[in-house]
Amino acid sequence: MAQATTAAAEPMVRLERVSKRFGATLAVETASFDLEPGSFLTILGPSGCGKTTLLRMIAGFIRPDGGSIVLNGRPVAADPPWRRSIGMVFQKLALFPHMTAAQNVAYPLKMRGFPRQGMAERVERYLSIVRLGGLGGRRPHELSGGQQQRVAIARALVFEPDLLLLDEPLAALDRKLREDMQLEFRRIQRELGVTTINVTHDQREALVMSDRILVMEGGRIQQAANPVDTYARPANRFVAGFLGVTNFLPGRLASLAEGRAVVEVEGTRLEGLCADPSLAPGAAVAAAVRAERVRIAGTGETAPDESDVEGEVVEVVFEGDRFVYELRMPSLGGIPLRLFDLDPLAHPRHAPGERVTVAWRHRDLMVFPA
Amino acid sequence: MSEKTFSVSRRRLLTATAAGGAMLAAPWAWRRAAAQEKPRELIVRAWGGVWVDSLNEGVSKPFTEMTGIAVRHDLTEDNEIRPKIWAAVDQGRVPPIHVNWDTSTNATKSALRGVTEDLAGLPNLKEMLPAATPEGFDGVPLVNMYSYVYVLAYREAAFPDGPPESWDVLLDPRFKGRIALYDDGIGFHPVAQIAGGGTMAGVPGDMQPAWDFIRKVKEQQPLLGEDPDFTTWFQNGEIDVACTILSNARAARQNGIDVAWTVPKEGCKVDTDGMWIPKGLPGNELHWAKEYVNFAMSQQAQQKWTSGLGLPGLRPGLTPPEDLEGDPAFPTSPEDFERLLSVPTRVLVEHESDWFQKFNEIMQG
Amino acid sequence: MASTIHDKGAGRPVGLRLLDLLEAARELLWPARMAPLTPWLFLLPAVLLTGLLAAGLIPLLDASLRPLDRATFRLAEDYALGNYATLATRPVYGVIALRTLMAGLIVTAATLALAFPYAWMMVRTQHAWLRKLLLVSLFLPFFIGQVVRAYGWLIILGKQGLLNALLDGLGLPPSSLAFTYTAVLIGLVQYMLPFAVLMLAPALTAVPVEVELASASLGARPFATFRHILLPMARPGIVAAGIVVFTLTLTDFAMPEIMGGGGNDFIASAVYDAFFQLGDAGLGAALGIGLTLVGSAVVGVILAFFGLGTLGYVEGREERS
Repeated sequence: MAQATTAAAEPMVRLERVSKRFGATLAVETASFDLEPGSFLTILGPSGCGKTTLLRMIAGFIRPDGGSIVLNGRPVAADPPWRRSIGMVFQKLALFPHMTAAQNVAYPLKMRGFPRQGMAERVERYLSIVRLGGLGGRRPHELSGGQQQRVAIARALVFEPDLLLLDEPLAALDRKLREDMQLEFRRIQRELGVTTINVTHDQREALVMSDRILVMEGGRIQQAANPVDTYARPANRFVAGFLGVTNFLPGRLASLAEGRAVVEVEGTRLEGLCADPSLAPGAAVAAAVRAERVRIAGTGETAPDESDVEGEVVEVVFEGDRFVYELRMPSLGGIPLRLFDLDPLAHPRHAPGERVTVAWRHRDLMVFPA
Repeated sequence: MSEKTFSVSRRRLLTATAAGGAMLAAPWAWRRAAAQEKPRELIVRAWGGVWVDSLNEGVSKPFTEMTGIAVRHDLTEDNEIRPKIWAAVDQGRVPPIHVNWDTSTNATKSALRGVTEDLAGLPNLKEMLPAATPEGFDGVPLVNMYSYVYVLAYREAAFPDGPPESWDVLLDPRFKGRIALYDDGIGFHPVAQIAGGGTMAGVPGDMQPAWDFIRKVKEQQPLLGEDPDFTTWFQNGEIDVACTILSNARAARQNGIDVAWTVPKEGCKVDTDGMWIPKGLPGNELHWAKEYVNFAMSQQAQQKWTSGLGLPGLRPGLTPPEDLEGDPAFPTSPEDFERLLSVPTRVLVEHESDWFQKFNEIMQG
Repeated sequence: MASTIHDKGAGRPVGLRLLDLLEAARELLWPARMAPLTPWLFLLPAVLLTGLLAAGLIPLLDASLRPLDRATFRLAEDYALGNYATLATRPVYGVIALRTLMAGLIVTAATLALAFPYAWMMVRTQHAWLRKLLLVSLFLPFFIGQVVRAYGWLIILGKQGLLNALLDGLGLPPSSLAFTYTAVLIGLVQYMLPFAVLMLAPALTAVPVEVELASASLGARPFATFRHILLPMARPGIVAAGIVVFTLTLTDFAMPEIMGGGGNDFIASAVYDAFFQLGDAGLGAALGIGLTLVGSAVVGVILAFFGLGTLGYVEGREERS
């Protein structure tokens, strides 16, 4: 379900029906999107979804089989990488070990024929933008992992490219450093206003850093939207499952009118929202509800806009900021259901074997074609 | 005779053993027994190709049939085996071979160094021509077996008007890059001396004519190789003219390669090869090595061996091979030798190394 | 067999009891308190081998200082510099040394120039079949000895060889490459190629492909990436391959002997001639010492210039990034 958002301004990047096939495998299928100047796009998806191939086609390392790539108004699909105005940070950083940090940063300036005059100042300026002022004389192996990241960013930005590509540069870092660097990338990106495409399989990173998220699976763009919409209104079952912890209840559509659906799951009727008007009653569907949207309710406590179902506690885990319950739902055919209680200090802990009533709002149940 | 000696000694040995410590009392008997005990095999150094084949047919095989002693041929280059023998004798070790088939020059160097056994007592020596025995030694440190000629070999197709008459043919621009010599110039130095306008009296004192001629030959870009190379080069059409030993040219011709040979007007160098036995062999092995050399001088062995090589043996009364009858490169009479260029072995021993070096200097320069 | 072992019947499996035995033997030969020395023990074979080589130089040096006595064909008992004087005064040795050195330089440069793209292709290709093809074509001649290969070249380059058949077919004048200096160089380059590729391949493998991509994305054309990134990062492999090819060429014997037609001798041929043609072990030893000195000097200069780090001892850590 490729979506093209039309921006008011001339887009910095425009992809139209870009495809790539490797032998029998379709790596990327007719991908199209626009990207406004200064925005931060994350391509999110599991490994093998085609996101890296897409990024490398934009960078110029892979030539697409078809479609067009327009960068700042200029078609570039046939250009080699060195003729595109694109800075890139790699997962393995790919710093040049035989050069100092400053020489690494100066490299694109030399290669792109920038005047020698003022080059040193410019290198120093970018080193201080990434907060490495004074460390330009060090070789990469004399720098910490975070500092190496910063050199890689400065090197990709120093020639002021039209576009910055991030090929999972944070994937190899430990969690604390990764989270720091996510914010740091975002800060630098905002400060310089550079249009950025980031590739990751980490949903948290996508949500934290991006203006827009492009979810990919099987070579196709599944959804392109801002982080809140992507999370709150997933376009399909895959997106709903890939972001967040989601319970899927398999059933049949009983009725659908004006986006309000009634689903029958093992004889229990549940109300929810459905964005796909083409579904006919009787169609097999998957009703989805996020673990944090389900709550444990006292008997008779439920509101009119809520569904309530009986369940039995199988396992409960305390994680500090939450209880995580694993339930079995006898009235839904015994399927398992996961539930987050996000206020564990205010609520009692239900023991395994206890029977409870769980509830969620009708609007939190999302209905997708199965 | 050998069998008999052996059985007697054996019986003596058994008697001695039966008598207990009696063996100690009869050391002489023990020694003598050992001296003539047959070794399992003899190792004879030889050159490859037609050379070893002829030796095997003419000498080694019949020797084995007669004595039951196997003969193994060691094809190490004569130049390479020499330092090994010298080192073995110096260090008192048993030498690596029993009989060395060698050029007379190299054999003489070994004789001068004193690493050769005296062959004076060999019965067949009396039957050989005087040239078989080198002069100026006490005893006979080596036996010359046959003489050979470094002929001018040529590809017949390149000479439709008949064989070349002079070594000057090497300077013919037609043959630039198509001539070949031995890589140390062996066999060519005296020829160059005459072709360059000098005389044999100038060897070794004034050899400037030879070096001038060799310098001119160098301009012709000669290939430089060893025995087997000449055959290959003729076969592959790489060369038209070469200075090589008759045996190589004849072997090539017998294999169907278009090669003939001639003795040009300046003459050809004639030389001899011989056999010698290194010092340091155990008594019985020395005995049988001498038997081998003695047999090599016999009428039967000389006839077959030297016919195979196409070279005149140094024993009177041999029948020359049919294809070489009357060939000037197969000298048998004093008149034949008149036309050839001979350098005394003593001169070769003293100066040939220098000539090699000088030749090398010109060719590598 | 097995029954006799069970007869002694401790009930332990044969394998374990064998290990016990080995363990006891080890304890006897190398007691546990020697354990700290164990790493050095592994160095021993290398030290022995190098020591043996160095020891071999002593008799060589000894012989080189003793001129030959032509009367007895023995080396003189007293030391003299005659052999070295011969080397210095006879121009032929200068010519041969220069020819050998030139060959070393030309062959090294040509081999590296050919081996680098070959190794790069072998390391970088995405196609398994191409990698296999490159490896097989590299190793096939490797298993064929140098001498056989030299004769193979003669079949190609000879006057009636394949090359001339081809030229003749095209109506071109015949070449006469066989038995020339050029032929020797061609043969040597082909002989050295596998050595160089095998030493360059690991060095290029150690350069992550991302580094090349990064360079391209930063604006470098392929040649600039080669010059500024690949060349310096693969330097350890290049220097090592260069040293190996250079020293192997410097000391080669067979190729000039077979393909040079006798007129293109290298130093090794001169050593052979001195030892065997002239029977002058002293002169041969002096030549050998000279060859060793020249080779060591060149390698020393290379290492001094590029530093020991070029062999990956010092900067190896950098590859971590």
